[in-house]
Amino acid sequence: MTTNSLWKNYQADKAYDEMMTAHGNARPLCKTLESYLQELGTDSLKNRRTAAEAAILEMGISFTVYSEQGNIDRAWPFDIVPRLIELAEWKKIEAGLKQRLKALNCFINDVYNEQAFIKEGFLPADLIESSGNFRPECIGMNPKFGSWANICGSDLVRDGEGTIYVLEDNLRVPSGVSYMMENRVITKRVFPELLRNLDIIPVDAYPAQLFDMLASLAPHPNVQPQIAVLTPGIYNSAYFEHAFLAQRMGVELVEGFDLVVENDDCVYMRTIKGLEKVDVIYRRIDDLFLDPEVFRKDSALGVKGLMRAWKAGNVALANAPGAGVADDKVIYAYVPKMIQYYLNEEPILPNVPTYLCSDPEQLNYVLTHLAELVVKPANESGGYGMLVGPHASQKELKQFEQLIQDHPRNYIAQPTLALSTCPTLCDDHLEPRHIDLRPFILQGEHSFVTAGGLTRVALRAGSLIVNSSQGGGSKDTWIINTEQ
Amino acid sequence: MLSRSAERLYWLARYLERTENIARLVSVTMNLIYDLPRGTEVGWHNLLTICGVEDEFKQRFKNTTEQNITRFLLADLHNPSSLLSSLSYARENIRISRELMPDEAWEFVNELYLYATKNIETISNRQGREVFLQDIIRGCQRFTGFMAGAMSRNDSRRFIVMGRNLERADMTSRIMDFGTVLLSENRNSLLREYEGIVWLNVLKSLSATSMYRKQVRRRIKGEEVLDFLLNNNESPRSVCHCLQKISYKITELPHATGLQLELKTLIEKLTALNLLTTTPQLASINTLPKPGF
Repeated sequence: MTTNSLWKNYQADKAYDEMMTAHGNARPLCKTLESYLQELGTDSLKNRRTAAEAAILEMGISFTVYSEQGNIDRAWPFDIVPRLIELAEWKKIEAGLKQRLKALNCFINDVYNEQAFIKEGFLPADLIESSGNFRPECIGMNPKFGSWANICGSDLVRDGEGTIYVLEDNLRVPSGVSYMMENRVITKRVFPELLRNLDIIPVDAYPAQLFDMLASLAPHPNVQPQIAVLTPGIYNSAYFEHAFLAQRMGVELVEGFDLVVENDDCVYMRTIKGLEKVDVIYRRIDDLFLDPEVFRKDSALGVKGLMRAWKAGNVALANAPGAGVADDKVIYAYVPKMIQYYLNEEPILPNVPTYLCSDPEQLNYVLTHLAELVVKPANESGGYGMLVGPHASQKELKQFEQLIQDHPRNYIAQPTLALSTCPTLCDDHLEPRHIDLRPFILQGEHSFVTAGGLTRVALRAGSLIVNSSQGGGSKDTWIINTEQ
Repeated sequence: MLSRSAERLYWLARYLERTENIARLVSVTMNLIYDLPRGTEVGWHNLLTICGVEDEFKQRFKNTTEQNITRFLLADLHNPSSLLSSLSYARENIRISRELMPDEAWEFVNELYLYATKNIETISNRQGREVFLQDIIRGCQRFTGFMAGAMSRNDSRRFIVMGRNLERADMTSRIMDFGTVLLSENRNSLLREYEGIVWLNVLKSLSATSMYRKQVRRRIKGEEVLDFLLNNNESPRSVCHCLQKISYKITELPHATGLQLELKTLIEKLTALNLLTTTPQLASINTLPKPGF
């Protein structure tokens, strides 16, 4: 087998390719990587892939899939060819992400307090009231630093012109950051020579940054606040990540029944020494399961009285309950306006144009152009319940037409973006596959953005769905400093 | 540390120690068979008695052949105390306790589990089985060694050490039984001539042969071997040593009184049966504070 067969028939002209130009030449940033892969050749590259797969098994990097046969722990799907971004471009993205989260937090704080944004007519009040993630229980609360969404995972995509857009902001319990770090560990094992020759920004600062951010939320100044990660348990699809983050931060990993709220409205955990007070909880449980006293009565995952303790100011919850009100694809459309309104700045990162079906005029446009658009439910995550117009059958189009007309508030539509592609090892050669990027942004006393993020890749040819629960994979993301 | 985590770590240690001990037990039985004259009734079925799984075995297999018994003890996931079951419980426990352990601890156990599941079929012949068992023993020792060199001497570790020593004392007592049962069943036969070999193998199964010889510079005799395995406080697998370890760990833990009393009762029972001869180290257990102290 010759080395050339690695790139045989590589067609980078259908979308913006992160590594190759439409003429089939490597972009300047990617020259080293391209010639390295070329030199390595098909057989060696396949060996490295085998090594990566073995490492994933040994390190036990897995995620849980729910199926009719029960829950299966699956090995993390990983493509060994990395995705590269230049540091100068990344700096701009980083600033844009910090700006965005700041504005979102101002907005959430406003929603639960003055509601000035609504009163001044920038957002119809009924969009908040009808939002599935609005929690009236949180009205009047003022979390420290005005920061409700302390951990945010925003999904970025690059279109055919090479422009980076924000596709959505995940403000509830975004996951993936542990895989971002593990991907780098695997790459170090698989391509050690390559990492030495490029100036790649490390990604392992995250747990320390997360720890500091969480510590900054502690209700009372304390030398060593007691921090815990609250997980729904081993059957949750992101359990691996919950354990990973607790371990890397050196904090307790707790489940609901490890915690108890006493009569003093403080949260305690059950330890071998007795009850110990908890100051900050990084909760990876959805709002509705947090506290059976306030939300779902049947929740066995949460802690009775947790909301009481939070409202009394005795414990910090990250993200704060109710923060999800801004994690709604309808509210998303208003983020550029929020940035202007709260920060008096122009948005650094653009939004994808979004049609709100709740608006009769826009609804009309959506219904007449359904076959060209991507339709998304306003409150779902994980890529479920979506319609990709150009890929949909007549039957699916009809079905969505009905769904949208029945519940216009529940749907938004966006033009189908030609997501950028990246070379991906398929069998024994490279093929372009669509990718997105999920960086993680922290906001407590200070803001922080991961160096890159988790690049997700749709492993099926032509597919735009990158979610790991639906056949997506991932890649290591290299932010490269080209300045000497 | 969380009470729930303490329980997991205690069981993690027990399951891993059990994994290693089953491997030792099966390995020593094979070794013994090579040494004994043909026609000697060395019962693989004795292993079932020692492990206390005769009834479970009968539900799964008809004949007490070497094949069936080794498969049941090593590979059968329907047998909750088989090597593979123990190892997979250990893996499940450490998987959900990763935040309490040194970084690579989980990987060591996970790798061993992957090795075991991948190679379990090699146990069908004696040669493959021996290699498999030695690798399992080494894998367990690697974990124990790593923990000794990397884990802080904190409460998490105390629960691990307690679990390991409890399981170890348990298995040492079972292995002692193995020698005794074997010899008493074959009193009439020529096996008595081979008594020394049986006891030698018992020591071997606990990696204790050289250490025993250093201590007891005489021909190997059953009574002395038993005494060594029960009372030699310098030998880390002796019942006495394991109990002492447990006692030390207990006193370092909060709210220890209940456990201390349990241990004291146990030691009194063993002493009354003339099994444990009082040693200075154990005497200190006997003078533990009374409840409420």
